[in-house]
Amino acid sequence: MKTNDLIIQTTTKVVFFIIFLFSIHIFFAGHYTPGGGFVGGLVMSSAIVLLMLAFDLKTVRDMLPFNYTVITAIGLLISLLTAAGSIYFNVPFFTHVYDYFNLPLLGETSIHTAMFFDTGVYLVVVGVTMNIIQMIGGDE
Amino acid sequence: MAFQILLNVLIAFTWMFLSVSFKPTTFIVGYILGLLMLFMLRKSLSTRFYMDRLWAVIKLGTLFIKELVLSNISVLKLILKPTMPIRPAIFAMPTVLEQDWEITLLSSLITLTPGTIVIDISDDNKTLYIHSIDFEDIDEAIESIRNTFEKAILEVSRS
Repeated sequence: MKTNDLIIQTTTKVVFFIIFLFSIHIFFAGHYTPGGGFVGGLVMSSAIVLLMLAFDLKTVRDMLPFNYTVITAIGLLISLLTAAGSIYFNVPFFTHVYDYFNLPLLGETSIHTAMFFDTGVYLVVVGVTMNIIQMIGGDE
Repeated sequence: MAFQILLNVLIAFTWMFLSVSFKPTTFIVGYILGLLMLFMLRKSLSTRFYMDRLWAVIKLGTLFIKELVLSNISVLKLILKPTMPIRPAIFAMPTVLEQDWEITLLSSLITLTPGTIVIDISDDNKTLYIHSIDFEDIDEAIESIRNTFEKAILEVSRS
């Protein structure tokens, strides 16, 4: 019994962009307001899960040909290196620093090493969630 | 439509460079001038003047709000009657719309107005199956949807 998924597919094409942008926004808002790496990662995964519901597992795999195990590993590595980077400067493990940089296009931007740690968390959450869902949903 | 908007923005930027002032107000003035030019050349453009389409979108919005209020009131009347004289039915409605987004929009508008719900779409996207709460006459129901939403959506998508 194959149903006609026209409405959910068309709506997904619109809603996906909004969820994606919201995920990035929540990730960057985490420093001063509620949000951060964990929530952002979950929202990102939910966007991909919505794609999987509207289309199917194989189509989404072709769209996003990522190995989520590798993404989890990369995320863990980023977090660990950010935390271990402080040892190099003879300060305790996990000491964070921040400074202002003049980036091209963005101008004066404050960059904090906690953001890189959060990037690691984000990638781990996306990787683990998608891994679980692909393993359960996969029917090879 | 997208090409015309792009052209309009380009004209606005040209105006900014001509008047060597890069303020939002200059951009707005340039944009209005571009609109005027496009309006003058609207007969020679390959597609419709895009403000007409914008107007059609606004009309569709107001039509939706109007239908929403009216059908809410009618469903409220049905519910508050002690005997509840509802005559539920499912009917098929052939549609002339072709694009995916048009069909999705029509289905959403039908579903959002109380009293009618789109249950399913046929595999060839030609027929909508609609459940109606108080059903009198199939042709009348189809006609009413045809004359309101479908016409308005066609008005928007006409290139």
